[in-house]
Amino acid sequence: MGKMVIPLGPQHPALEEPESFSLLLQGERVAAATVALGYNHRGMEKACESRTYIQNIYLLERICGICSHSHSTCYVQTVEMLAGLEIPKRALYLRALIGELERIHSHLLWLGVAGHEIGFMTLFMYAWKDREVVLDILEMLTGNRINYGMNTIGGVRRDITPDQAQDVLKCLDVLEERTAYYAKLVTEERTIVNRLSGVGILLKEDGLRFGATGPVLRAAGVAMDIRKDDPYGIYADLDFNVATDEHADVYGRAIVRVTELIESYKICRQVIKEMPDGPIVVKAPSKIPAGEAFSRYEAPRGEDIHYTRSNGTDKPDRVKVRAPTLANLAAITHMIEGGYLADVPIIIAAIDPCFSCTDRMIKVIDSSSGRENIFDWAGLRKYSMEWYSKQGIDFKNMNAFRKED
Amino acid sequence: MIADKILNWSRIKSPWIIHFNSGACNACDIEVLAALTPRYDLERFGIQLKGSPRHADVLICSGPVTLQQRDRLIMIYEQMTEPKFVVAVGTCSCSTGVFAGCYCVLGGVDSAIPVDAYIPGCPVKPEAIIDGVVKLLGSIKK
Amino acid sequence: MEKETLVLNKLAGAFPCLEGAGVIPVERRIFLDVPSDIFMDVIKYACLELKFDHLCTITGLDAVDYFEFIYHISNSDGIVLNLKRRAPKENPVIDSVLPLYDGATFYELELEGILGAEVTGLPKDRQYPLPDSWPKGQYPLRKDWSPDSLQNNLQGEC
Repeated sequence: MGKMVIPLGPQHPALEEPESFSLLLQGERVAAATVALGYNHRGMEKACESRTYIQNIYLLERICGICSHSHSTCYVQTVEMLAGLEIPKRALYLRALIGELERIHSHLLWLGVAGHEIGFMTLFMYAWKDREVVLDILEMLTGNRINYGMNTIGGVRRDITPDQAQDVLKCLDVLEERTAYYAKLVTEERTIVNRLSGVGILLKEDGLRFGATGPVLRAAGVAMDIRKDDPYGIYADLDFNVATDEHADVYGRAIVRVTELIESYKICRQVIKEMPDGPIVVKAPSKIPAGEAFSRYEAPRGEDIHYTRSNGTDKPDRVKVRAPTLANLAAITHMIEGGYLADVPIIIAAIDPCFSCTDRMIKVIDSSSGRENIFDWAGLRKYSMEWYSKQGIDFKNMNAFRKED
Repeated sequence: MIADKILNWSRIKSPWIIHFNSGACNACDIEVLAALTPRYDLERFGIQLKGSPRHADVLICSGPVTLQQRDRLIMIYEQMTEPKFVVAVGTCSCSTGVFAGCYCVLGGVDSAIPVDAYIPGCPVKPEAIIDGVVKLLGSIKK
Repeated sequence: MEKETLVLNKLAGAFPCLEGAGVIPVERRIFLDVPSDIFMDVIKYACLELKFDHLCTITGLDAVDYFEFIYHISNSDGIVLNLKRRAPKENPVIDSVLPLYDGATFYELELEGILGAEVTGLPKDRQYPLPDSWPKGQYPLRKDWSPDSLQNNLQGEC
């Protein structure tokens, strides 16, 4: 039997679309997987070399719209180290507040996306509706729902009024109640537990070996969190727990993220309560003394890294960024191999990838017939939901809306 | 053929949209999806998100055109049947925005295909998406 | 800076030529220039003996007179050891650290893709991060390269 390429998507069959994943199937299981990346490469690091340090804040914020404050803060930390600046405490508290609000919106986004991947549409709608509460606060504090422009070299650009602080606290009350519901859902709803357990296993040794990070690593029982291990900003003074789980699978990653939501609410309350008065910025020179600096930040997805080399001018000599998703992608084929094809969408979604993976093609090769199928994301998701439906795991009858909607 | 055209024009009252993103930073993509959730409810205008360009009337684009995505964007546009309309959402989709000068970024959406409506914002707000799409529908009917 | 100084002392103990070569600019950050001929032994020692077993990333850069490669590795104390090696521009060949760090693949492919280094021992079955249509021999992170070169090249192909 010869090879057949069957496009199962909207794209033109003749278009040579580089697939992001190539999977070799044995029966219904993935025997081998390869991943190809780079379709989102824009050339930002090079662009940084012809922009000033301040201009680069606005560029680097847009590496990823979900982790924008993470990248912004991680970067300004390198410049502030090079300039030898001492940042006012109030600014560091404000950075932490926005950072945790970002973590909250990101994890709620993830909950919705995960729900969407497994066909649990209600969870998608609920989580994204609750996320709107967070985006409202962020818009109130920074002027924008996403891409906050909060940082400058030397501190932050906006302060918070006592009334705004009260509004934040009220929203945290609402979110805490909603999250208790998600925690219950994730731990007690049998359909979810069955759907996500044993899927995408990444054990502690393998996670460490591949350099995985964030909730993916913490779900394997590794209590690594940059906020504790290599504290930046005000985090050494804050009281919170690192969320871990022992399941080492997609289910574990869900538990970790929901637990982190709860910890983030705690941190936000602390920050608002303990924020000292004072200035929110110190003056920074436009020309940064020659040197090099390395900064890490615990983004919602894990360890974000920025390295900057300065040369005494107002533009950096080199800016290097390593976003957390890249570290987790090193382990993705390991998580996919040995599992079912039907698990591929949720495994990829469970690393919370910072690229639009719903846009990419997945090539599936049957090892016995040699036949090739090209799936687009929607096609593979549909296959996955149908496969699980045959196993008796279905969310259709759970898709109902809350009374208050 | 004529039957197709009548079908297409009548669909403009409740257009089917397809969303293409060149993956810039995903902020606009998420706001497009948010526009479909109950709070903003783009669907109350009869607008539906479809998976195939062949059935779509309106192509909503986010992100600037990158080297990697240019041919695919053109291909999707060519697969759509007339009448068809393109909406560029977000500042970098309108005019490259903050990515101007990045070596893999070629320009805004109109550097590859014709654009009928530009909705700026970084990211674009869901209310602006709805406003822009409704304005576009209004101008088509005239 | 006790722990950081201890790390440098241990390295100097194992590799005497590194004596006095390290810099600790802020807490939990060590920068160290390492001669190419002992680089692989040093990073192996740091990984296996000093337990800097997490590879954060690898930065490649064009330092005008040579290429520089910085291996950012961290340990459980949160200390980041930044080991720097150089390679001549006429012969930018370095060794892969895959035997020590399984997650190095994308970082090393990037050194080849955007800087034009050659990493021996790295499987060459794919490229990262540039698109497949990228013209050969164009390395964007080199100082003598500008986006205009690409526009000229692309126009040449049309």
